[in-house]
Amino acid sequence: MSTGLRRSLANLACRTLQATLPPSLQSWGWAIRYETAGISDDTTALLFALNSLCGLFPRVIAAQVFHPVAALFGGAAMRSPRALGILCATGAVLLGLVYMAAAGAPTRYLWVNAAALVIGLTMLAVLGRAVTAERCSAEAAIIAMAGALLATALLGADVEGAVRWVYIGGLSVQPSLVLLPMMLALFARTRSTPATLGIIAAALAMALQPDRSMAAMLALYLATLAAIRRDPYVLTALAASVIGFALTLVRADRLPAVPYVDQILYSSFDVHAVAGLAVLSGSALLLVPAIAGWRRDPDNRATYSAFGAIWLVVILAAALGNYPTPVVGYGGSAIIGYALSLLALPKRAGARAGGAAWARDPADGTASDRHLLIALA
Amino acid sequence: MPRRRALSPHAKTVLAVLLDAADQWSHGYELVRLAGVKSGTLYPLLIRLEAQGYLEAEWQQPLEGGRPPRHAYRLTASGVQLARANLPAQALAPASPRREATT
Repeated sequence: MSTGLRRSLANLACRTLQATLPPSLQSWGWAIRYETAGISDDTTALLFALNSLCGLFPRVIAAQVFHPVAALFGGAAMRSPRALGILCATGAVLLGLVYMAAAGAPTRYLWVNAAALVIGLTMLAVLGRAVTAERCSAEAAIIAMAGALLATALLGADVEGAVRWVYIGGLSVQPSLVLLPMMLALFARTRSTPATLGIIAAALAMALQPDRSMAAMLALYLATLAAIRRDPYVLTALAASVIGFALTLVRADRLPAVPYVDQILYSSFDVHAVAGLAVLSGSALLLVPAIAGWRRDPDNRATYSAFGAIWLVVILAAALGNYPTPVVGYGGSAIIGYALSLLALPKRAGARAGGAAWARDPADGTASDRHLLIALA
Repeated sequence: MPRRRALSPHAKTVLAVLLDAADQWSHGYELVRLAGVKSGTLYPLLIRLEAQGYLEAEWQQPLEGGRPPRHAYRLTASGVQLARANLPAQALAPASPRREATT
């Protein structure tokens, strides 16, 4: 390699670094560029520049993914965690569309995911207004959803011994992905015997289907809840969920991976690096509301922990087994489920939500309980 | 108060080099050579140390015409404490003659 070429490549590496570094780190980009220029040996200068580029690349990636969101919506989003969640959901779906387009997925898949986002956000808007503060309504909703999950386990479509799906309008829907996050969001606020029975029924449904991913999500969520605020309802539900998860482990899971749905965290990089980065970035975006909320809204850390636990488990399950990669992979159920799970987040940072339970007796309601009612409505 | 985490051997070595420089300013390539780390390890570390208040950085104008300015670094008082509390396992070899920092 000629001397001039090595020096040119060193300059190119420095310029690339400068072009990609966020504004807050621009002075470091200049520092590296000038330091490289001061090195007399061309090979050493090239290695210095390339090493600097590689070393700072993780920061560049993080900035490219998170900085635009923070810059555009930072303050407003932190004041409205649910709005940040909507933004992340939209971003993750768009990144998923990028992956699917690059991977050559059928156009119908792209439309299904886009439509699911619209449906999910519409449901979020409607339910965000319509869900009332009445504890009995939440209990009824939990029991109804548990019934739907049990019905799916008993009457749903059987694929290789797994019964997790129902067909609606020619589309295969996985009710657990849609309903379970919302059930858990409601249970965090509604600790009572009927609500606990609903969660136990959901754990039974996950064991019957069987669905390790959702069973693990249920167990980890309840474990997080129990760690934050221990009470007999949560402990009972946790015990049931752990048993349910154990049963899913005992039962064989022979489902093959489905293209554009399962195992795409790895296979997307075989398509193209951009597709792989889109999938990884989209998956990371799902956790941003939990991470940002944890850091910026200490009053509601329990809520953010539980929300993060839910989606971290689903992502990990997708990484470890043949389970749907949520939101970025093909499948509207997870998109709608993610949108509905945003109900768990407070509309405004600082308004108490999620982690604390409603008082057993409305007469016992504390100030924070009253805030909960406001946050849910 | 910045949150502390265990320092890597590279970080300890860089801190020791900066400690050795005392009040003198050091430059990136000089630190790479003296600490035996790659620039890809050095700069993220410097960025972190500066953000946590352990390092101060300034731009120095060149003494010779036609040369670019340089970014120079030295430890703050809290950085000196951090470096002293995290000396590398092996004492530093006698440092090679230090280049005069441009100011």
